[in-house]
Amino acid sequence: MSRVLGIPPKRALPLKEASLFKEVLTMYEARQLKKGLKTADQILKKFPEHGETMCMKGLILTHMGRREEGIDLVKKGVRLDLTSHICWHVFGLIQKGEKNYEEALKSYIQALRFDKENLNILRDAAHLQTQLRLYDGLVETRHILLRLRPTVRQNWVSLAVAYHLSGNLLEAKKVLEQYERTLKNVPDYDTEHSETTMYHVRLLEELGEFTEALSLLDVSSKSRVIVDKTAIMEARARLLSKLKSDESEHAWRVLIDHNPDCTSYYHGYLASQGIDSDEASLAILRDISSQIPRANAPRRLALSFASGDRFKELAKPYLLSGFTKGIPSLFADIKLLYKDQAKLSQIQALLEEIRAENAPDSAAPSSSTFTSQPTTYLWILYFQAQHFSYLSQFRRALEILDEALKHTPTLPELYTCRARVLKRAGDLFGAARSVEEARLLDGQDRFLNTKSAKYRLRAGLVDEASALLGLFTKKDATSPGADLEDMQSLLYLIEEADAQNRSGKINLALKKYIAIQKVFDEVEDDQYDFHGYSMRKFTINIYLNLLAWEDRLRSHLAYVKAAISASRIFVAVHDDPSIAASLASSGQLTDAEKKAKKKAKKAAQKVQDDSKKGNSQQSSNEDKGLEPTAPKDDDVDGIKLLGCSDPLERAAKFLHPLTTLAPQNIEVWIAVYDVAIRRKKLLQAAKALKHACSIDVENPELHIRLVHVRRTASALPQEPPVPIGPLFKESLLELLPEEVSLETFNSQYLQRHPSSQQAILAAAKVSQMLQAPLQEVENTLFAALGPDAKLDLESSQAILSYLKSLGSQRAEEFRLTCDGKFDLSTVFKSPEEQALLVKQALSVVIGYPDEVEAEA
Amino acid sequence: MSSATPNSRVSFASLSSNNLGTVRKLNSVLFPIKYSEKFYNDILNPDYEEFCKLVYYNDVPVGTICCRLETKGDQTHLYLMTMGILAPYRSRKLGSESLDLVLRAASSHHQPKIDKIYLHVQISNGDAKRFYERHGFQEVGIHEDYYKKIAPHDAWILEKAISAA
Repeated sequence: MSRVLGIPPKRALPLKEASLFKEVLTMYEARQLKKGLKTADQILKKFPEHGETMCMKGLILTHMGRREEGIDLVKKGVRLDLTSHICWHVFGLIQKGEKNYEEALKSYIQALRFDKENLNILRDAAHLQTQLRLYDGLVETRHILLRLRPTVRQNWVSLAVAYHLSGNLLEAKKVLEQYERTLKNVPDYDTEHSETTMYHVRLLEELGEFTEALSLLDVSSKSRVIVDKTAIMEARARLLSKLKSDESEHAWRVLIDHNPDCTSYYHGYLASQGIDSDEASLAILRDISSQIPRANAPRRLALSFASGDRFKELAKPYLLSGFTKGIPSLFADIKLLYKDQAKLSQIQALLEEIRAENAPDSAAPSSSTFTSQPTTYLWILYFQAQHFSYLSQFRRALEILDEALKHTPTLPELYTCRARVLKRAGDLFGAARSVEEARLLDGQDRFLNTKSAKYRLRAGLVDEASALLGLFTKKDATSPGADLEDMQSLLYLIEEADAQNRSGKINLALKKYIAIQKVFDEVEDDQYDFHGYSMRKFTINIYLNLLAWEDRLRSHLAYVKAAISASRIFVAVHDDPSIAASLASSGQLTDAEKKAKKKAKKAAQKVQDDSKKGNSQQSSNEDKGLEPTAPKDDDVDGIKLLGCSDPLERAAKFLHPLTTLAPQNIEVWIAVYDVAIRRKKLLQAAKALKHACSIDVENPELHIRLVHVRRTASALPQEPPVPIGPLFKESLLELLPEEVSLETFNSQYLQRHPSSQQAILAAAKVSQMLQAPLQEVENTLFAALGPDAKLDLESSQAILSYLKSLGSQRAEEFRLTCDGKFDLSTVFKSPEEQALLVKQALSVVIGYPDEVEAEA
Repeated sequence: MSSATPNSRVSFASLSSNNLGTVRKLNSVLFPIKYSEKFYNDILNPDYEEFCKLVYYNDVPVGTICCRLETKGDQTHLYLMTMGILAPYRSRKLGSESLDLVLRAASSHHQPKIDKIYLHVQISNGDAKRFYERHGFQEVGIHEDYYKKIAPHDAWILEKAISAA
């Protein structure tokens, strides 16, 4: 931190103190915290109002773990000397440590006002501007840095990248060209120069200057510039294709020889020859296959192009080779072909054929000649079971699995497959039991462990799942769940949250959904270090990919699910705050939960004690960094969270990124509507419904909202002010014409969808909203079990729980009917029956049906 | 394809508390009697590691072989407690390879040196007896009422001397 001339009087220090202050700065840089603190105190003894020293002391204290005290000092110091770049820089550092990037940037900009050419501050500001995606400001900052240090290579590249990010590709190109002219005597295969050159090629490609890109690529690869040979080949093939050059065919072919199992190379190769008929594609693939027999990709790709007898001819050896090799993922690979109904049927027939040919008793088994290996038959059965599970023929799939288990009872895949079949059929307890059998075969297989825990969560066995997960988590963690949360296991968080949500413990569910939100915040924060690192190391291309990926981060399914589920909970507690209150008072903790809570409390206490110990040891020189340690969680069960004063605002914030990242997801728009309409954001609400209508105007949940919005509008105490009022009215008319009464609208909807259980439920909910008598609502709902209705498990469950929520006398009747209709399913069993099933699911012992003790 | 195709692959794995479930599962379908918890504790004894194995065929566990060491006076005997291969995988030399593995381990075992290996075969199981005889075992007697809960109750005692490698 350099000092500037023209020092204001209150900042000026006598010679001795001035040199002491310089020492403080050096000691801080060297993280000699203890010494620095002592020296700062020496200055402050004489000049207690010296802002810069106070800020430095505050900064050092923060590093030493005395955070609150430190930050107070920094704030006081800034107030004492508002024109010091040091004070603002320190303040910025503190804010950055708290991940408050907006405020940190403001402080840095202040600091730069008083020290325009401070390199450290400029660099930090650039990183903050990138993190905040303020690309125009970034270009400016990078410009200053380059002007100040034109000999530093990374300053050139950083400016080009800044232009690139701001969308100005032409300027980025100019900067790179200028930069390349300054280079002299670059050694061969210099990784930095290689990366920069590949970035230059990429830039030209994005600008559409394919010829220039190609010639740069060719010249550079010949003159030993580019290190990554595969990248050269790929870029070359791509550019030649874009130029429609005759050479592209050869370029792709070279790539295929380089890696014959990369499917996209084949697509490039076929496209480069202008081939659009399946016949021609197949001929080419056959040629390559005969030249590279070990390659799987061309044989698999051929299955996508082939049809009819040709398909059968190709599919049979493909399947058989998979069965012989014992490839467990073969079905996942083949399933993609099932979009074509004809291929599905052909595969089904082929399976019968292959199975018959490989059955153990097909040919008389003599001890000397075997036609096929027993494992081949086993993998055929495994595949066939998955096939019928895919077709929802659960009984058939289970029969095949029974046969397979009789053949070889030690293959875990058979049990996990059986579990999946049972789960799909609605027997969650049987599924949990089956996958636990698989886990017991191999206790050190973490995949099986996680699967078993997940299936227990699906069956609502939360504590029992935790017990399993604990076999693999850190032993000193407060709970298995806490460790998995630290490890950012989205799978665990979403499954546990959903399990709690289903069992009505929405406080615990919400807690986990928010934990998911935090994971994504952390991932977003994690990119910060790369703004500096990647420029320093010239890893430009992958860095640009990273930024693009971060920009779409929250389109991840776990985030989408968590945001929608959490917003539903927030809306529910907004509509009925008594839910939160009753959950808080019900003391719903089970024994295991109490135990976990006690343990968590103990662990938290220990953390606190440790930090106290740290405080008392003031002599410690240990650097604790600027990031605050996670505060003690005083809301382990999420009760406070559930009772928060701003549920709708939190929901809106959670959902917000999805309006741009998942705009095709109708559930997102419905959730946005639910929150917006309650926040009285009428136009936002109407817009959300319009989006939803454009996706699927007949969606059952949307149907409910269309009625809801009209009723909300007519119940408004007064007309909203101009221009909102008229605009809102107008968009309502677009959604639903005014001349139709809501009752008619609803009955028309029901008539259009007489067999959809979801539509029936939606219509019933609307009737209830329109104050139809309970009996009428019940009748509507029972139509969901009528002869024309298309039964689906989830909707039937939803109807049952809706009936219960209405206090309907006929809920039990509905449950019993469902229980009869859903073969294999256990979700409609009585609580007593389910309790028995739980017991069976948890008491899995591998052993004998009849108890005979051995003697030896 | 014969059992000697390059595709077929036989391999062995040592036992641990983690794969004991697979041993239990195999025993439950291979043998008509239930083994005690003592049996399962014994086979995890690190001293027996060379003599207790899971047998894999194409990476699928299909059989087991389990022995324990016994001290009789100044002699050390290896007792073959169980050996079995799932039915669809028989007649592929898996049993022979497993037995050979144990016999080799026995002859290179020095502390203590192993003098002989022996086992019991139920007298109804002629196939098993012939299998062991092919591998150099000899019948040395009959243990009457060896099996208490399954019939026939008697068992042949077969043994083979181990010569140090």
